[in-house]
Amino acid sequence: MAELIQTQDRKLRTEEMVIQMGPQHPSTHGVLRLEVTVEGEIVTHVKPYIGYLHRCFEKHAEQMGNYSQVIPYVDRMDYVAAMSMEWSYVLGMERMLSIQIPERVEYIRVIMAELQRIASHTIAIGTFGLDLGAFTPFLFLLRDREMILEIFERTCGARLLYNYFWIGGLSHDVPLDFVDRTRQFCTQFKKTIVEVNNLLSYNEIFIKRTANVGILPANVAINYASSGPVLRGSGVDWDLRRDDHYSIYNRFDWQPQIGKGERGTVGDCWDRYIVRCREMEQSVKIIEQAIEQLPDGDVQSAIPKRIRPNASEIYVRTEAPRGELGFYIVSDGSGSPYRVKGRSSSFVNLSVLPEITRGYMIADLVAILGSIDIVLGEIDR
Amino acid sequence: MAQTKITRTSDLTFWQKLYIPEIIKGMKITIRQMFLPKFTRQYPEERWNPPASFRGRPVLVEENGKERCVACGLCSRVCPALAIEVQASETELNKERYPVKFEINMLRCIFCGLCEEACPEEAIVMSKEYELTFNNQEEAIFGKDKLLISKENLKERLEFLRQYR
Repeated sequence: MAELIQTQDRKLRTEEMVIQMGPQHPSTHGVLRLEVTVEGEIVTHVKPYIGYLHRCFEKHAEQMGNYSQVIPYVDRMDYVAAMSMEWSYVLGMERMLSIQIPERVEYIRVIMAELQRIASHTIAIGTFGLDLGAFTPFLFLLRDREMILEIFERTCGARLLYNYFWIGGLSHDVPLDFVDRTRQFCTQFKKTIVEVNNLLSYNEIFIKRTANVGILPANVAINYASSGPVLRGSGVDWDLRRDDHYSIYNRFDWQPQIGKGERGTVGDCWDRYIVRCREMEQSVKIIEQAIEQLPDGDVQSAIPKRIRPNASEIYVRTEAPRGELGFYIVSDGSGSPYRVKGRSSSFVNLSVLPEITRGYMIADLVAILGSIDIVLGEIDR
Repeated sequence: MAQTKITRTSDLTFWQKLYIPEIIKGMKITIRQMFLPKFTRQYPEERWNPPASFRGRPVLVEENGKERCVACGLCSRVCPALAIEVQASETELNKERYPVKFEINMLRCIFCGLCEEACPEEAIVMSKEYELTFNNQEEAIFGKDKLLISKENLKERLEFLRQYR
């Protein structure tokens, strides 16, 4: 009896526990497994395990008969933003072959890529809200995404995996009602952004869950080579569309958005979220200008008959919705690629997760993971 | 372990602390949706008719009871997923060659439309069919019996191809 009292007097002994989150967890956004070490409810360490969706994209690309056969596979890297994936690969091939592409193609590509950015960000912030218990914005945003997908479908025949950007051009011209539909979408979407801002962005409950959570300082973000909204959310003004001078983005009036720490600290979840929201507004701005200036012309005039680059190598990077997307293409002079390496932004952005989750609650871990916005198809490739 | 101290804003007003006005603000937006037109479709009852640009399952064009295909094998060579298998043979007809065996493995097909693009005879096109179900793997390999569709039924797609390509 005396012994029992003695143990009760002693301080409660606690020990760390390891919890497996995923791969079938709804808030890991796909098949990602997180090995979470917790002390009570405080996360001490997170170790992401990837590879559940590995489809040997790079090896497949080497096995293809020619360079254009890789494009459908590139689509399947980030299936939420397939147009942006295609653009990066196609741009690399065009630089390798030094093809000058027609004006009209450039404009259509910009419009398509920005529509795709909006479609991707609607998913990103929709599911982010969903993770934190806000269901309605998700439905509103998907409704508008549906309008984009319809534009894509009428243009290239598919809703997600387009195979639309070809080396030197496009698979076909845009339909006649493309301009009207895009304009209609822009007016509708401006209303939706206001709605989502009222419903989610400046909602006090939402701010409580996200502000001051998962703070990623600018120097850590740069050290981990993160890019896209994750980097810009930390207050680093870096956007490849402006800084890398690819395509015709310098012709339009727009501004890259950065997190300013309005509701908390710079680089918290809310900053990353609001950067995406404001980027969508900028995308609408770009689309409206591009639609106005859309020139006439043949979209297939620059497509080469034979794609056989000289033995050379190239690294090309573009600003995909999730950050810097790079393709390192090596050619040995034959008709099929010798090596295609994809540098995916989700993979790099995910690596920062252990750093920024330390010391937060498990519920915050869900918020942080949602704010990074990963797509597992791009991570595992 | 050095724990990061979590600071939360606590400068909420009395009404914000209640959370109820915030909830009502959200509810106002959602309730308005009830009076707006519906955006969803009752799927199995209400069918969706895809536009002519839609890339459904690839089919072979049948003209005058015969396939247009001349079994050149370009589609099977261009297919990134290696889904198409063609075996050629000779025929008395004008085109001289025809496919004895033409199989598309629908489990492999990725609906990229490259076969349609490569075809010099406009013999393989993407149809509007998007509901594909199988009970086993053998069923998923579509032979000529399932692939041949008469030209009249594919009018819209063929017109689209001529217009935009």
